[in-house]
Amino acid sequence: MRRFWHTRELSTVAILALEAIVFTWYLWPEGGRAHPFLNGPNGLLILKYSSIYGIAAIGAAIVIISGGIDLAPGAVIALTSVVTGHLFVKSGWPLAPSVAAGLLTGAAAGLVSSWLIVRVGLPPFIATLGVMGIARGVAFIITEARYYDLSRTIPPGSRLLGVPVDWVAPVVMIAAACVFQFLMKRFQWGRAVFAIGGNETAAVFTGIAVGRVKTSVYVVAGLLASVSGIVLAVAQGQGKADLATGYELDIIASAVVGGASLAGGRGSVVGAVLGALIFGVLRNALPQIPGATFYDRLIVGLVVIVIVVLDQVLVRHER
Amino acid sequence: MADLEFRDVHKSFGAVRALGGVSFAVREGETHACVGENGAGKSTLLKIVAGILRADRGEILWRGAPLRVGSPHDALAVTDRVGRLDEPAMRSRAAALLDELHVPVSADRRMEHLSPAHVQLVQVARALAFDCRVLVLDEPTTSLTDAEATQLFGVLAALKARGVTILFVSHRLPEVFRLCDRITVLRDGHHIATFDREAATVDQVVRAMVGREPPGHVPRERPAGDARPALSVRDLVRRPRVNGVSFDVAAGEIVGVFGLVGSGRTELVETIFGLARPDAGSVDVHGHRLAPGAPASAIRSGVALVPEDRQRQGLFFNLSLGDNLALPGAALVSHRLIRRREERDGAASQIAALSIKAPGLQVTPDRLSGGNQQKVVVGKWLGIAPRVLLLDEPTKGVDIGAKYEIHNIIRREASRGMACLVASSDLPEVLALADRILVVRDGRLRGELSAVEADEERVMRLAAAPAEGPA
Ligand SMILES: Nc1ncnc2c1ncn2[C@@H]1O[C@H](COP(=O)(O)OP(=O)(O)OP(=O)(O)O)[C@@H](O)[C@H]1O
Ligand SMILES: [Mg+2]
Repeated sequence: MRRFWHTRELSTVAILALEAIVFTWYLWPEGGRAHPFLNGPNGLLILKYSSIYGIAAIGAAIVIISGGIDLAPGAVIALTSVVTGHLFVKSGWPLAPSVAAGLLTGAAAGLVSSWLIVRVGLPPFIATLGVMGIARGVAFIITEARYYDLSRTIPPGSRLLGVPVDWVAPVVMIAAACVFQFLMKRFQWGRAVFAIGGNETAAVFTGIAVGRVKTSVYVVAGLLASVSGIVLAVAQGQGKADLATGYELDIIASAVVGGASLAGGRGSVVGAVLGALIFGVLRNALPQIPGATFYDRLIVGLVVIVIVVLDQVLVRHER
Repeated sequence: MADLEFRDVHKSFGAVRALGGVSFAVREGETHACVGENGAGKSTLLKIVAGILRADRGEILWRGAPLRVGSPHDALAVTDRVGRLDEPAMRSRAAALLDELHVPVSADRRMEHLSPAHVQLVQVARALAFDCRVLVLDEPTTSLTDAEATQLFGVLAALKARGVTILFVSHRLPEVFRLCDRITVLRDGHHIATFDREAATVDQVVRAMVGREPPGHVPRERPAGDARPALSVRDLVRRPRVNGVSFDVAAGEIVGVFGLVGSGRTELVETIFGLARPDAGSVDVHGHRLAPGAPASAIRSGVALVPEDRQRQGLFFNLSLGDNLALPGAALVSHRLIRRREERDGAASQIAALSIKAPGLQVTPDRLSGGNQQKVVVGKWLGIAPRVLLLDEPTKGVDIGAKYEIHNIIRREASRGMACLVASSDLPEVLALADRILVVRDGRLRGELSAVEADEERVMRLAAAPAEGPA
């Protein structure tokens, strides 16, 4: 059991499976009607909406592993949707450069955070809190309370590089998870991120370029948040400044439920994606339970606490 | 009369057996030493006494009844009370306490402003604050100079006079013989012998510890030729602790840097390595100027630093032993993908060369005993085959056998042409190891002695001389 919990991704998969089984059983329809939870389109829906959180949670996990925290992803998602929307709708740019500019915006937000942390020496919480405000503020300034209608950008049923458009977001999430899992586990860069989160002083003494690695971590997190921003803008068909309000906490919660330790040095990219799926299933299934509507935030909160407590109890027991 | 009695105490960590049935007794009011090689189980035993770990089997009796230690939190609560010192009554009590034990610290000082040595004295003094009967100390003197250790022993003597039973772990046998009434030797988790201090000799104790003849010294061979300095430091300034230092170290030479705590020796080696950006001056390695304030550049030029504080500066407790040993090499290679097999081979050879006692390459360093952790820090830097090796307290917490091993490794690498700079507060170590000794005080070199002319007295005179104007 302990060894099982130690391979943290496995235990997260187990929780996800348990969750799916519980809802399948609980929502089992009477008679021969179609199952409201366990069906193909609903599964795709869960994947699609989870990937908005999941893609950003990959970045959040990396930041947390490095011993930091990023509060900006919600605001970066909004700013990306606004920048892309503005260029595409208002300025009449083609789609690809508009999206590219949106992604650059996210990377730039990460660069500003890392500059404040590495050069100015602000604690990550404060630096990214500031960037969160700035990004949201810039989004409001650009839109002036309007929103950009993106609903007709991509006709339904079209394909992107051979992938049906509904599947693009999940595919991006899975691809990003694979790439970053590999980078974190098999590359010097990933090991440096773990080392910095585990013991930053020792990392300096070991000759690791701490500042440079941290910069790359926040830029990656910003970039991934802006990918989430594009996905959300397309899914909702609009770019606007109050998009994704409060998402940063769900994104951090996904990473933490997936095994990232806020003390730094511990966590998993794949775990963060699984954590996002755990919340995605909750958000999808709870509203289908009659009378549960008002309970869903409460349940989400309890789930975070239970999973993290379980984790700590089992891991601390080892010592 | 046995007042703290260990009866068949067992403790295992997974497959690793730390204690395999230890039985011996400590008399009330005596000062009892517990010695043994790294990984013998000393710290584990003390942690069980202190209630941090629980024995798997066996019991500890205190005055004939099973010892019931509260959780370590009990002790912490008291710490908090004595440490905070905001109420006047508290302050006067603390002041009286520190005074009684001759601890040269004002009760108004905040803990964070104290030197590590003074922190330790305050911690020991705290024992009196909650009227403790048994005091256990695990290697309390490893980072203290002789003078500071003497202060500590004064405090311990005062405690002993009040009837406190002291159980003391140390790798420094001279102090063990100076301080303790009886000496218990552990080896591989077993009780080997308990000696009366009067009846025992150092040799007897060492033989009991290692179970064989202690290893001898590798003879020193200085490689011939190449008189150009490998390391050349010029007018190095890093205020306030380094105030203009110049010296050379030739290839194959071992140079000792001795200074009391606060003399600037640690700051000196750290500035050379680039951890601090110097205010002035330069460092050259084999004629190549190091970029100031850039450890990575120093590493690429073949410089390595074994730092003073292995827990804080040396080890990553979230990474495996293999990763810990491989990380310095990452600064040297251009490939970005980790080459597992190469790293595993390198790590395995370091573990063999330093005879590091570890259950495998996958474990994290917190599973290792203190001395073995220190060897990992030495090993991680030897792995990059440095041309200039800087060592700060290289054998802190290492047992005698391993100390000889590390000394021998330093000698062997020096014979192969590596230049070594050893900063240490352990004067016998500096005297045993160095070809030449630099003495620092107030961030300046106060003298240089060759191995032949150096002895404890002359070095100490230079290190401790009062400032009679700038030298
Ligand atoms: N938390 C742990 N998990 C696994 N093994 C451990 C743990 N703590 C100690 N050990 C093992 O138990 C043995 C005894 O360790 P201990 O720390 O008691 O040694 P020690 O005598 O204090 O050595 P040193 O002189 O190096 O401090 C060692 O082999 C060590 O690797
Ligand atoms: Mg120990």
